[in-house]
Amino acid sequence: MKQTPQMKKIQDNMRPGVLTLNGFLGTDTRDLVEILEEDAAEVRRLRTSHRAIAEKMSILRDQGMRGLGEFIDVEPHFEVRVDSVRGGIPSPFGDAGLLRKTNTTVRNRRLTREIVFTDVNIHLIGEHGFYEGRGSLFRLEPAELVEILEVETEKQQTDLPG
Amino acid sequence: MVSALLISVGAVSGISAFLALLMVIADATIANYGEVKITINKDKELDVKGGKPLLGTLMEEGIFIPSACGGRGSCGLCKVKVTEGAGQFLPTELPWLSEEERSNNIRLSCQLKVKNDMFIEIPEELFNVKEFRSRVSGLVDLTHDIKQVSLELIDPAEIEMVPGQFVQLQTPEYELTDEPVYRAYSVSSNTSDTRRIELEIRLVPNGICTTYVHNYLKEGDEVIFNGPYGDFHLRDTDREIIFIAGGSGMAPIKSILLGMVDENNPRRARYFFGARSKRDLFLTDKMKELEQKLPNFSFIPALSNPEPDDHWEGDTGLITDVVAEHMESGNNTEAYLCGSPGMIDACIKVLTDKGVPEELIYYDKFG
Repeated sequence: MKQTPQMKKIQDNMRPGVLTLNGFLGTDTRDLVEILEEDAAEVRRLRTSHRAIAEKMSILRDQGMRGLGEFIDVEPHFEVRVDSVRGGIPSPFGDAGLLRKTNTTVRNRRLTREIVFTDVNIHLIGEHGFYEGRGSLFRLEPAELVEILEVETEKQQTDLPG
Repeated sequence: MVSALLISVGAVSGISAFLALLMVIADATIANYGEVKITINKDKELDVKGGKPLLGTLMEEGIFIPSACGGRGSCGLCKVKVTEGAGQFLPTELPWLSEEERSNNIRLSCQLKVKNDMFIEIPEELFNVKEFRSRVSGLVDLTHDIKQVSLELIDPAEIEMVPGQFVQLQTPEYELTDEPVYRAYSVSSNTSDTRRIELEIRLVPNGICTTYVHNYLKEGDEVIFNGPYGDFHLRDTDREIIFIAGGSGMAPIKSILLGMVDENNPRRARYFFGARSKRDLFLTDKMKELEQKLPNFSFIPALSNPEPDDHWEGDTGLITDVVAEHMESGNNTEAYLCGSPGMIDACIKVLTDKGVPEELIYYDKFG
């Protein structure tokens, strides 16, 4: 797929200093369309969808909110903490108003692994399939999200009894 | 036919982009807006050189507008009322302004350039805000993720502030940022000591300033901050006081309590502090000391998930549940809260259910 002028404008919004100090692209020099396509292929390989990943992130974030800023146990074996800092960030796609600067930390006790994501990540993944560029501070790897958050995959869905 | 259309669309787009680029370059290099006048609160007049953003222009004149991102347009804090001379709203301002703010001529001062005479309105207390050079005189790990930073003032040598206010700490260029950035932190120390301040800073994952403070800052380093800001302070009434905080929300409440000690304040006050387990609790000895100094003060820490090794015999549960359990009628009560937006919202609900009038609930929301 070719990068459209619209896509180029969005990518310009992602550069350092435009909407955020460090931007959304890190050291990635690829066109936005390539970044999106490669991550979409990875998500297909994992037999899930951007929406399913974002939905699991939202669910854990919402359950973690009950901890009022401290870690709280979330079934079956997660510990989740949601904390916020002052301010907000607009979506580089220009479609979500201001997103709160909220960090969700999820510890998977079974795997003894941890991942941190923001409300901006949830929006960008769920609505645009964007996991940020390579080298970005807030880049998330689809495979890590699926593994640590235990996102249900097609295979697991078809394995479920009748 | 299609290729001709694409070529003409491409040509028009290219010419537009080129012209836009020319305008930006011309604005930055050729345009000379000369001397312009900024009138503040219909009273104070500043003669300044035009062409720079309002936030930076005011800063050069020693007037600091609160901004947590150092003028990058990513925090939305530096709002100023501009009654004349602002021109059209810019696309970079719009996400930060509500309909009401736009109709009241509120502008984002880091985005708005001073190009002609301007009339602005800012709160009078901002004239008291200054930039300070200071030196790190102490760094203490309060918990595994909260650090106490003590700063001795160099120039100016003293700061006048009210307990509960915050400052903006500058993080210099380092691995995570190629330019200085500012973040807001509440002062936790006794503000009657005007030559030093203390901050309690919790490590935020990937946070530019908090990572710097936790992993790079050393004793003896020079640090720049500006302030004081904010209207979170103890009101002068006879009502019973409820304080509620968690994590680094401890900071402004501790400063207020130290101020109460200085005044021999006799008001009944209870401080509910939430943490997950004992490793997240801190300054409990200091709070016990304050209980001795303030005859009607009690500190009520609560753990939401104590570890077996904690041997915890105090209150357990979420802080909202603990407050609900301890509180009787809130008719003659006012409350001071500091924490995340979720924590504040949950506490407001509990307090209003207990009869505390919403207008008597004061808070410092991190979000």
